[in-house]
Amino acid sequence: MMTIGEIKRLLPHRYPMLLVDRVVDVDPGVWLTALKAVTVNEPWYRAVPDDAAEDQHDYPVTLVLESWCQAAAVLANWGQPDACHGQVMLIGRVSEIEVRHPVLPGDLLEHRVRLVHTNGSVLVFEGETLVEEEVVLTVGSLILTIRPAQDLTGYRGRGSAELVLTAPGK
Amino acid sequence: MSRTAMVVTGPVEGVPRITGASSTQARTTISIRPDEPVFAGHYPGFPVLPGVCVVEYAHRSALVTAPKSLLPMELVAIESARFISPVFPGDELQIEVSGCHDGGHWRCEALGSTVRGPAAEIRLRYRVCGGAR
Repeated sequence: MMTIGEIKRLLPHRYPMLLVDRVVDVDPGVWLTALKAVTVNEPWYRAVPDDAAEDQHDYPVTLVLESWCQAAAVLANWGQPDACHGQVMLIGRVSEIEVRHPVLPGDLLEHRVRLVHTNGSVLVFEGETLVEEEVVLTVGSLILTIRPAQDLTGYRGRGSAELVLTAPGK
Repeated sequence: MSRTAMVVTGPVEGVPRITGASSTQARTTISIRPDEPVFAGHYPGFPVLPGVCVVEYAHRSALVTAPKSLLPMELVAIESARFISPVFPGDELQIEVSGCHDGGHWRCEALGSTVRGPAAEIRLRYRVCGGAR
């Protein structure tokens, strides 16, 4: 089992965007299972009025996906000490994300990620998210790129729109 | 199951303004404020808007530009999202939204851009819960 301190060594994300709580099982380079507990105390719920309908407490699909993607990034960085020093994780592309069931506060997300292809800095994953053994989200494909942060800071100054996220293999 | 159309939870605080519309597409504009809460943790010392937040803005843009007869509608798939260039604090994010009605579903294409050029191409699919399904 991997706890928060170890996750923080592998992911550059921090509050309020660190959305993986625990890694429960892993086959390095192959697959990983991680947990994220959803609570109504997360900042995303701040604006929900007291008389809101139950479905207005649905956890945002985009954050279920982000949390799943972070589990994939943990697998990507597994075994690399100090992995997030000077690096940023970027989503190059996602496709075939199917929303099967809403997620609510109190739910425990179980992310299952599988690495299906890699060429070093570009990694392709697939998988799903479950709550109490019911699939709530399926991810057909995630293409993740891990880049030196300075690539992006340099990008800001250049004012040119190309190549920063599209050609990480170069 | 009829989910509520109005979005009140989510990782972003900006509000898409409709800044253009024709019969086939609409444009929204979002000012990406430096005090968006996600920037504190994505990433510390190097704020860049998470790709999923661009998707969230595309989703909200789809909801505010969809024909009212289709509402409420429920997001059932992110068919694809391709991220081309980053979005930074202070950017104006423009999203061109076009949609088509497809047998009980509303399929939406959203093209996001900033002053530096294309930022993301996103395709979303909704289940129509409103009267026009």
